[in-house]
Amino acid sequence: MSLLQVRGVTRRFGGLVAVDAVSFDVHEGQIKAVIGPNGAGKSTLFNVMTAFDRPNDGSVLFDGAEVIGRRPHLVVRSGMARTFQNTQLFEDMTAHENVMAGAHAVTKTGFLAAALRLPWTVREERDVAEEAGRLLRLVGLGEWAETPAADMPHGLRRLLEIARALAARPRVLLLDEPAAGLNTAETASLAEALYRIRDAGTTIVVVEHDMGLVMEVSDEIVVLDRGCKIAEGPPRLIQKDPAVVAAYLGEEEADEL
Amino acid sequence: MLGRPDIRLVVIVAVALVAVFALPMLTSERYLLRVFTFVGVNVIIITGMALLFGYAGQVSLGHAAFYGIGAYASAFAVINLGWPWPAGVALAIVLTAAGGFLLALPSLRLKGHYLAMATLGFGEIMKVAFVEARPVTGGPDGLSGIPYPAIGPFEFDTAGLAYWLVWGVAAVALLLAYNVVRSRAGRAMRALHGSELGATACGIDITGIKVRVFVISASLAGLAGALYAHVVGFVSPSTFSLHVSVLLVAMAVLGGTGSLAGPVIATVLLTLIPYSDAVIPGLSRSALETIQEWQEDIYGLTIIAVMLFVPGGIGSLIRRMAPGRGEAR
Repeated sequence: MSLLQVRGVTRRFGGLVAVDAVSFDVHEGQIKAVIGPNGAGKSTLFNVMTAFDRPNDGSVLFDGAEVIGRRPHLVVRSGMARTFQNTQLFEDMTAHENVMAGAHAVTKTGFLAAALRLPWTVREERDVAEEAGRLLRLVGLGEWAETPAADMPHGLRRLLEIARALAARPRVLLLDEPAAGLNTAETASLAEALYRIRDAGTTIVVVEHDMGLVMEVSDEIVVLDRGCKIAEGPPRLIQKDPAVVAAYLGEEEADEL
Repeated sequence: MLGRPDIRLVVIVAVALVAVFALPMLTSERYLLRVFTFVGVNVIIITGMALLFGYAGQVSLGHAAFYGIGAYASAFAVINLGWPWPAGVALAIVLTAAGGFLLALPSLRLKGHYLAMATLGFGEIMKVAFVEARPVTGGPDGLSGIPYPAIGPFEFDTAGLAYWLVWGVAAVALLLAYNVVRSRAGRAMRALHGSELGATACGIDITGIKVRVFVISASLAGLAGALYAHVVGFVSPSTFSLHVSVLLVAMAVLGGTGSLAGPVIATVLLTLIPYSDAVIPGLSRSALETIQEWQEDIYGLTIIAVMLFVPGGIGSLIRRMAPGRGEAR
């Protein structure tokens, strides 16, 4: 059974059908990309898949359990972590604290236990701090641990958000346009990080505009156009698919690929 | 953060503790002790406000109402029901926690300033209730002859004992709050203040955290009320009106975000304004009256000035003096 099953998801905003009966599967251990021109419905689909938005119709099963209708923080706790197209970091907190906050889903210390500083909470805090340091190094941000998020350069902020999402120890990591606004070098190190994360056993779904990154890292690609799925398959087939070239790649420059 | 206590912080806290607790041994002046007892009561309330406003970023314009509920509940329980004072305190805490929960749950599920509006309305309703519920509150004249706080046979019946009691409670409240803010729960509060979407993506139940912080801050106000009523021996509705809520907000704003020390310093400063004669020897009576007349304006101007010039409040100034880490203190 596939880890994530998207079945007939439809999301309408008034008269506009942003996502129209889209279905696909994400298999464990894959890097799966969802691409499409601006306005294709990628981000809407992404928000539905992570329970940050509700569809008008359809179903999203994560490990066999329905995601739709659940409160989003509970979906995160069940093993689905995400990032945002516009990074949603905690600006006043250091990089290290941001990642520690990401571990909220997999830790327990509540107000009372913390106020009384029970011994197990002290241990948990120490473990979280160590794990956060390890994740920062994994995405190459070891040097930035004590820098407030607000003071970090744009490209590194995206990596920080990925590290924060990883702190929730997700089985599937969903990235919303992680390469947006990154330069070539930064995109390359992002690709490196994605491989390392997948090789460590985390499934990745990436919604992306940057074709270079998608063609390089993905095992499979879903192509959306005007809310509909028009193609699905491995990158080399997608590049040649006439419907994709016509609908999406034609809009940019087909010969780039 | 990693259990490395900052030596300077430890020294400052130790000196402050010794200074605070030594005061009754250095002076026997009742007025001075009484004024600093009020400061201690406000420190207890502001500990909750610091968590609510400074860490979780939620604004309450009705905390004077919880303060009042705590005061009347404890006074009523001791005078009319014959309960011992600790039971009165427990009643004050339970009632204000329950009230806080009922008020916060619906208003915090909504985005925006619904909490501020709801608390403003709640404060006004309770002000009327304090005046009208004569059998419990004594109406506009208030309740007098409230017995001293007592634990078993031991009565806190002098200004010095009352001072120690209040500051002892304040110190414990601050210690517990300090433990909370540098824990997972504290990070969750700062996270939802920073970005609610981001916090949700971390698996944080943002409504749940907000409701918990609100309940904690309401019950700390209730606890402060239960101390105030018995230390002063008299309560009336004017003690718990909107202007007290505004004063509390002024303390929280001046104190700054992400800090406990800042709000405590702000509370000491702003509480002392109407009692300037206690700390400035030889202050003339007319000067004091002028200060008291302009008291509300001083609070309002304080809020505006802080917003304009030091948005991070005293807390941010402290952090600037102790550079290196973005850690909460």
